[in-house]
Amino acid sequence: MKVLQALTALLPLGVFGAKKAATGDRFQTYHSKQLSAGGPVKIDDKIYAELTKGPRDYSITVLLTALEARFGCNLCNEFQPEWEMLGKQWAKGDRNAEGRLLFTTLDFLDGKNTFQSLQMQTAPVLLLFPPTTGPNAKPDGAPVRFDFSSGTNKAEPIHSWLSRQLPSIPHPQFVRPINFLKIGVAITAVLGFITFATVAAPYILPVIQNRNLWAAVSLIAVLLFTSGHMFNHIRKVPYVSGDGKGGVSYFAGGFQNQFGLETQIVAAMYGVLSFATISLALKVPRMADARTQQIAVFVWGGVILGMYSFLLSVFRIKNGGYPFWLPPF
Amino acid sequence: MAVTATNSDSPTSIFFKGETGRNTRGLLRLIILCTIAAAAVASRLFSVIRFESIIHEFDPWFNFRATKYLIQHGFYNFWDWFDDRTWHPLGRVTGGTLYPGLMVTSGAIYHFLRFLTLPVDIRNICVLLAPAFSGLTAFATYLLTSEMSDSPSAGLLAACFMGITPGYISRSVAGSYDNEAIAIFLLVFTFYLWIKAVKVGSVMWGGLTALFYGYMVSAWGGYVFITNLIPLHAFVLICMGRFSPRLYVSYTTWYALGTLASMQIPFVGFLPIRSSDHMSALGIFGLIQLVGFTEYIRAQLPSKQFQTLLRAMVLIVFGVAFGGLVLLTVSGTIAPWSGRFYSLWDTGYAKIHIPIIASVSEHQPTAWPAFFFDLNMLIWLFPAGVYMCFRNLRDEQVFVVIYAVLSSYFAGVMVRLMLTLTPIVCVAAAMALSQILDTFLVAEAPAEPSGDATKANGSASSNGSANIKDKLNSAIPESLRSTKAPLVGIYSYLSKSLTAGAVTAYLLLFVLHCTWVTSNAYSSPSVVLASRLPDGSQHIIDDYREAYYWLRQNTKQDAKVMSWWDYGYQIGGMADRPTLVDNNTWNNTHIATVGKAMSSREEVSYPIMRQHEVDYVLVVFGGLLGYSGDDINKFLWMVRIAEGIWPDEVKERDFFTARGEYRVDDEATPTMKNSLMYKMSYYNYNSLFPAGQAQDRVRGSKLPATGPELSTLEEAFTSENWIIRIYKVKDLDNLGRTHQEAGAFGKGNKRKKGGKRRGARVLRVD
Repeated sequence: MKVLQALTALLPLGVFGAKKAATGDRFQTYHSKQLSAGGPVKIDDKIYAELTKGPRDYSITVLLTALEARFGCNLCNEFQPEWEMLGKQWAKGDRNAEGRLLFTTLDFLDGKNTFQSLQMQTAPVLLLFPPTTGPNAKPDGAPVRFDFSSGTNKAEPIHSWLSRQLPSIPHPQFVRPINFLKIGVAITAVLGFITFATVAAPYILPVIQNRNLWAAVSLIAVLLFTSGHMFNHIRKVPYVSGDGKGGVSYFAGGFQNQFGLETQIVAAMYGVLSFATISLALKVPRMADARTQQIAVFVWGGVILGMYSFLLSVFRIKNGGYPFWLPPF
Repeated sequence: MAVTATNSDSPTSIFFKGETGRNTRGLLRLIILCTIAAAAVASRLFSVIRFESIIHEFDPWFNFRATKYLIQHGFYNFWDWFDDRTWHPLGRVTGGTLYPGLMVTSGAIYHFLRFLTLPVDIRNICVLLAPAFSGLTAFATYLLTSEMSDSPSAGLLAACFMGITPGYISRSVAGSYDNEAIAIFLLVFTFYLWIKAVKVGSVMWGGLTALFYGYMVSAWGGYVFITNLIPLHAFVLICMGRFSPRLYVSYTTWYALGTLASMQIPFVGFLPIRSSDHMSALGIFGLIQLVGFTEYIRAQLPSKQFQTLLRAMVLIVFGVAFGGLVLLTVSGTIAPWSGRFYSLWDTGYAKIHIPIIASVSEHQPTAWPAFFFDLNMLIWLFPAGVYMCFRNLRDEQVFVVIYAVLSSYFAGVMVRLMLTLTPIVCVAAAMALSQILDTFLVAEAPAEPSGDATKANGSASSNGSANIKDKLNSAIPESLRSTKAPLVGIYSYLSKSLTAGAVTAYLLLFVLHCTWVTSNAYSSPSVVLASRLPDGSQHIIDDYREAYYWLRQNTKQDAKVMSWWDYGYQIGGMADRPTLVDNNTWNNTHIATVGKAMSSREEVSYPIMRQHEVDYVLVVFGGLLGYSGDDINKFLWMVRIAEGIWPDEVKERDFFTARGEYRVDDEATPTMKNSLMYKMSYYNYNSLFPAGQAQDRVRGSKLPATGPELSTLEEAFTSENWIIRIYKVKDLDNLGRTHQEAGAFGKGNKRKKGGKRRGARVLRVD
């Protein structure tokens, strides 16, 4: 029984070895390299030329990248681990190389000539060379280029792209490995938080149950949302922009546009107006001194009038045809 | 309900005192409410007066068509309606995929008026349904606000605000026959009933809440807002330690009956127990049972250790149940959050995964001018009102705070949800303003400081034994800072008259603003466009109806029309022709197919159109008139949606020039120039202008000297202002040539050499 198991375990290796011995071609060499390296093979100019020259009975993907820090390619560095993971899983899932697909990485430092000959301006670039002979061959053999311009740095889109480009080969599943470190950190953090909460409860609870705190939080949230903060967040608008004459333009032209600073100004205006209203409604009638109260009414009434008038004038910037205004502005 | 009119010297004082006074005030209140309702209805009639009694925009046309079907064929046939004239060739199970509340409401009104022997046309009922319900909404807002505030004027102010605020008018002008027309009334009224139920704690009010909740479910998909807001309210109340038998009775009654009621709608069906959108309601239902049980046990067994044990048990059971829900969701028994609602939380989600949701203009985030435009000064009274709710934080005030924060977030993420924000803004703003008015409109000045304002500070109760707690409590006041001092009143008449005058001016300005906004921005039917001639007179642009009527008169009854999905309902409603896709965007692939046909070369598009038996293609083109909502401006969404299904055949990048610009002039990319949409839009367009002068007035660019050529389509109809262009799809060539070859032959061009195209003609399938 044991012997049988050992034999079956050896079987794929035996087949593999036999095949290698029989053909000894480029593909087998690099495929075994890929298996032993546990990921895409690092190549240089020479190997690139050797691997991509026709006729080929296999497909090869080359990731042209610039990992060195001085090139400052963020996307390259973000994408590299994903690429390694994809290459590893693909090679593992397709151990017998039925799909005949190689994963390779060509760094700029090792492949300056290739970069030049392909006239690469940006990195990373992913090229797929389909086979020129064999059952899955494409006649022209020209490489297909993956478009990174959509800003993807994940392996899943690449996986589906490869599957689409090479429909008739097996497509090993791509499974994102479980990040045990992250889970551990999360559990520790949760436990730590619970401990902290239990210990500090007598001190924190009165603060949490404090009405002023909740009022402040709610009001800030309402002011943020009603002044268009979510628009900034979703559309990623600039904080502020120049007016073309060297100055700063605080308010964006047009009804459907806004700047980050602009929303903060508007939120502040709403806040001032609300605060003045609250003072007028709640604080002023609680003032015991008649004279102070009179002055307070003047001040808060004036603040509301001035601010509201300013708000209307700002709104007229945004909406040219708006006909209404109030005295000062 | 105590009005502080105690001027006993006046001879008319008999009307304002005692029982008579109550009656007088009640009568005045009724008259004011009726006036407000009348104003609300009247302010929504601009479009009827300016244009005519016509259904607006897109979705209302479907509702109108469905209502007509309901009246013609009866309720049961409507329930089982399978519509084979949309989504050709798939069809749509319309009866099971719509919210029938709106159609049933207008059908009921129609039959009621018939019963009274008033022969009113169904179209007029549909057109005027939204204004009529806005009057009811104002009344419901009055009721809701009166529950929230002790002030007698708050309710009336809120009703007034709700009646005329543009945030609500935008969706309820005459002719905008959409689900929101009745849904906002139902929303506000359901909330009123819920508050009443929580206050009284009676099964009857809970049952009424459930009843109107059921009506709301039948009327609008936005019912999920209620489904989540009421549980949230209950949850917050429990967390605050405000659990009471009243809450228990009202919540359980509402949940049990309301869920049953909502499951009667075929479109909703078993969603309330199977989708994540509804799980919070179920979870709180479970939690409230646990809490109720604990409270009961606590009343029976006053042992301290036992209480701790019970509390721990509640927490553990809650945690386990929550984990179970998560597991069920992950394993797929419970459907995850539906795309529309999920995209509210993860705001980047829709753009990547469901471009069809992101493409709708009312699903865009809201810039601040839109808030001010729709709510004017209410937007800054709103935070003040929310703050005032913190003064005496009872169950109903907690509701206002939760509603305010949550709906401001939603309104910020999606323009159309401004509609759910508007009621609470009106309520909160009215509470703030009525506080000012009540303070400053008291005639008599205070003589000496009175000490009866301590009611706001009365809820401080320290039940802990720890010493720190007491110290902290004394350091951090339980009540609001601004209401610590006792209430005195206003001394001088000058302050009173100044403030009252200013508030009156602001209110008048608000009315002017609302009228202006309604008249200028929200009263256009968008089916009929209006413009001003140089002499100031109004010119009506009626291209849509012209073209749809042409279709109705000049094409076969079953001629299939392909257009972008925006116009599907209108074609179905006005031209009565089958369409490929329409505004009920349930099948993304089908829409993407149309998008692909529009954005591909003719050689690719023609087989697609043949496969779908398309007879006519309709495009909207605004270049001549400067009408910016046309198809070329929507084109990128067609490309994006098509790219989502066929990423290798349609690429958004190809429609941008090398410098990343979206152009239609000489420098447009070849893909753009060869796309069917571009060709159909600009076909023959330069024949209107002197040679080389053709100009697109929307995008402000000059067009290429030679216009595009069409070989597989022929122009069938172009409306007066070129807004709608209809093309007929050519039949296969009699001699078996491609249309390009036939066209070249017709022009007398020499046939290209190298006749590769031998053999039997086959339809190209991509």
